[in-house]
Amino acid sequence: MIRTMPLAPEEIEYVRKALGREPSREELAILEAEWSEHCSYKSTKKLLRTLPTKAPWVLVEPGRDAGAIRLFDDVALVARIESHNHPSAIDPYNGAATGIGGIIRDVLSLGAKPVLLLDSLYLGCLDDDYARWLAKGIVKGISDYGNRVGVPTAAGQTWFAKTYNKQPLVNVACIGLVHPGKILEGRVEPGDIIVLAGNTTGRDGLLGSSFASKPLSGNEEDLAAIQVGNPFLEKLLIDALQEAFKKHVLRHVKDLGGGGLATAIIETAAQNNVGFRVHLDRVHLREHDLSAVEIIVSESQERMLLVPYRDKLGELLEILDRYGVEYSVIGYFTRSKRAVFLYRGIPVADLPVELAVNPPTPRREINPLPPPPPLPKLEADIVDTLIRVLRSPRVGSKAWIYESYDWGVGGRTIGVPGAYDAAVIWLRDGTLRGFAAALHGNPRYTRLDPFRGAALSLAEAYRKVASVGAEPLAVLDNVNSGNPEKPWQHAYTAAMIEGLAWMARGLGLPVIGGNVSLYNEDSEGNMIDPVTSVLVVGRVSDVSKVFPNSLQGCGPVLLAGITEPELGGSEVAEIILGKPVGRPPKPRPSMEKRVAQLAKLLAQEQLACSAHSVGIGGVLVALAKMTIRGRRGLEVSLKTVCEKCTAFEAAFSETPARILFEVKEDKLDLVYEYAAKLGVPVKIVAMPIKQEKLVIKINNYMHQISIDTLVEAYTWAEKNLVRPKGD
Amino acid sequence: MVKYPGTNCEEETAFAVKQVAGLESSIVWHTELHWRLWDAIIIPGGFSYGDYGRAGLIASWTKSIDEIREAIDNGTPVLGICNGFQVLVEAGILPGALLANSNGSFIARWLWLRIRRPRGPWLSVATESQLVSMPIAHAEGRYYVNNLDEVRQGPWIEYLENPNGSIANLAGVSSHDGLVLGLMPHPERAAFPWQAPPGYTAGGRLIFESISQSLRNGW
Repeated sequence: MIRTMPLAPEEIEYVRKALGREPSREELAILEAEWSEHCSYKSTKKLLRTLPTKAPWVLVEPGRDAGAIRLFDDVALVARIESHNHPSAIDPYNGAATGIGGIIRDVLSLGAKPVLLLDSLYLGCLDDDYARWLAKGIVKGISDYGNRVGVPTAAGQTWFAKTYNKQPLVNVACIGLVHPGKILEGRVEPGDIIVLAGNTTGRDGLLGSSFASKPLSGNEEDLAAIQVGNPFLEKLLIDALQEAFKKHVLRHVKDLGGGGLATAIIETAAQNNVGFRVHLDRVHLREHDLSAVEIIVSESQERMLLVPYRDKLGELLEILDRYGVEYSVIGYFTRSKRAVFLYRGIPVADLPVELAVNPPTPRREINPLPPPPPLPKLEADIVDTLIRVLRSPRVGSKAWIYESYDWGVGGRTIGVPGAYDAAVIWLRDGTLRGFAAALHGNPRYTRLDPFRGAALSLAEAYRKVASVGAEPLAVLDNVNSGNPEKPWQHAYTAAMIEGLAWMARGLGLPVIGGNVSLYNEDSEGNMIDPVTSVLVVGRVSDVSKVFPNSLQGCGPVLLAGITEPELGGSEVAEIILGKPVGRPPKPRPSMEKRVAQLAKLLAQEQLACSAHSVGIGGVLVALAKMTIRGRRGLEVSLKTVCEKCTAFEAAFSETPARILFEVKEDKLDLVYEYAAKLGVPVKIVAMPIKQEKLVIKINNYMHQISIDTLVEAYTWAEKNLVRPKGD
Repeated sequence: MVKYPGTNCEEETAFAVKQVAGLESSIVWHTELHWRLWDAIIIPGGFSYGDYGRAGLIASWTKSIDEIREAIDNGTPVLGICNGFQVLVEAGILPGALLANSNGSFIARWLWLRIRRPRGPWLSVATESQLVSMPIAHAEGRYYVNNLDEVRQGPWIEYLENPNGSIANLAGVSSHDGLVLGLMPHPERAAFPWQAPPGYTAGGRLIFESISQSLRNGW
């Protein structure tokens, strides 16, 4: 049964006025889905307009199911990011799995072949039983679904914090490839036939999008809003569509996502300035007693809207039959500009398309943001602190997650996740061309300072793509934040989008897509830590030249960029003080750009043999990771990292815009020359040593840690927290 | 390359056959497989029929298996990779069974393998005890067989570090003459040097170079 309509009284009044009559039940259900935050972005539309979206290489700007850029003259890269937060909090396994299914279908909608999945997970503390249950369910959901559909999950990011114990955040992204001339333009004309293909329509996921647009109630009935995934069917749908694309039978494809059938058709009609007539009783159903309203708003998975070229309907149906994909021919587009749904010949909804896609804009207010708690002076034993930071689940090994994903299917993946700062995907087209992608979000930064936090999250994803030697080209963002009706929470949403826009402009990158997930608050109305996940994609001209992030033994380690004493919002501050404290470091777009240019140059000319971007934990943690992965010793000089800092600050400061390069001994002079030309300060901060040790020089004293001890700390969390005894 | 609904490694396997072995290769829908048209048959990895029941079970019931049996009887080399190996085992073409990994979860990682008693078309250029690296990616790869001696009459491939609890570290087994080979690791993901992460090499080339040699010069 359909629950009470969450349309606001003033919204219902607006509908009455526009129609000049009482709306029907079906019409109200359509508008509820269509006007939900999830589908309409009514609270954030204005803010999102401030994002830069244009660049000469952008082929599809935000607004479609996915964005696209020209990667090479003959290759377009299609990408999309989306959250599946609310479903994953109720049913972690199915919630996360269907997130993967949906994002793949979005990329298919542009006519592309999906080749990479990424996920950004914000999970609770692993020592909490419930949080661990959620975490494992989410990982297993992604693994079971993603692995079966033949798209590799080869990159991502995982965060752990108490705020996500009951409400984890799941952001997933998909990247596809297509010839630029073959991108489906989303054009339909009156008279074009509408085919609904894929899964049967059932009662799962009823009104899922309006469910995702309010706080979780904790009621059992929320379960009815969860969709259940069928990866085998998704795989058949992918294969059938690839064949249909090849045979050129489709002029338009659209995923049935949030809001189901109603939203998919209405959005298509609105984009083309047409109307449609759809017969609901023609839809193939799972349960035969579904009412018209239920058919309209069901969010059953693995369904797509297909519009074939005029004379190609037969050929399309033949392809679908061959792969065993069910379908129904449900209606056609009209000149009338009205959205008409019929059930057994009787119109049950007849709305102007214009009305459905233009909800009245709600008034949203913003309160000033509270300042972050001040940072006290931090000082502790450096070796001891390094071990504690490596033991943090946020910093430590994530092998238990990525080894359960099939990161290699497709044969395009370079190496393994974890061995490179970004996923590097080979086009496998007879050339060595490829692309790199990294997904990052730092909720500690965004909680303390949403503007800087979002800017820094973008900067870090950018830096990771740069440090493999790729050229960053575009950005996609996923904003996760609180209740827009509460001014103090909406302030975070606004500031994150501003920070993102500012950094994207500074880096000269277009934002080609995004997603906003609001109402992430607990049952008491407290906002959970807001965060913006940022996906950056870049061009790789030769995949055999990318930098791994493990020491290869070719020479000294050079730090590019400057280091300031910036411990605000740092990992080390949270570990020592037990909570996030201080103002996050200053974002530095122009230095990020120059350091990225240096990385690209070093990769092109093969002047270095490995590289690692400095992220949470700072320089010492980054060097320790390079040591662990390469099993080669280093002697580190902290004084050289930052002269005006204390040794502790030099070790753990999280100043952005820094990359470590292991430079070829005999190429040092050339590297200095290039760095000087680009205006990037560089200095040698560590020298290779023969012993399997990390030796840290602090004020003329040598402190030694064996690599085995580092490895033990780095793998401590996954060994002790993920599988505690009796689990 | 035989494709079932749910097969998902056919394109990269076909690509490796073309590029490394220098042979023509085609992806053939399972209902359209006629063994006489082909010099060798590969069943690639994936999740045929969604792996419902057991991995490879439903595919092993299809008519394509009759074609494959006839092909083998007539001396056509057959290779099963990952899910393809599972299909060959379910069909009883290769002995033993592939059970759920001992850790209960999907595992995808690079590892080192040792080739033992190489012979036959798929391992013709390999040497005894040769070490190669390739990645695995499976949830049901724990090989089990009652009669180990029987299996060891043909060539076999073993893990240096057993990832999934397979008996005798077996990663791949073969018919006595090596005509039919099944293995869990993915040679097509280790067919080009840049696919390998630091510390590993493209060990899958061995299989493709072998079949190239074998089809041209015999084995």
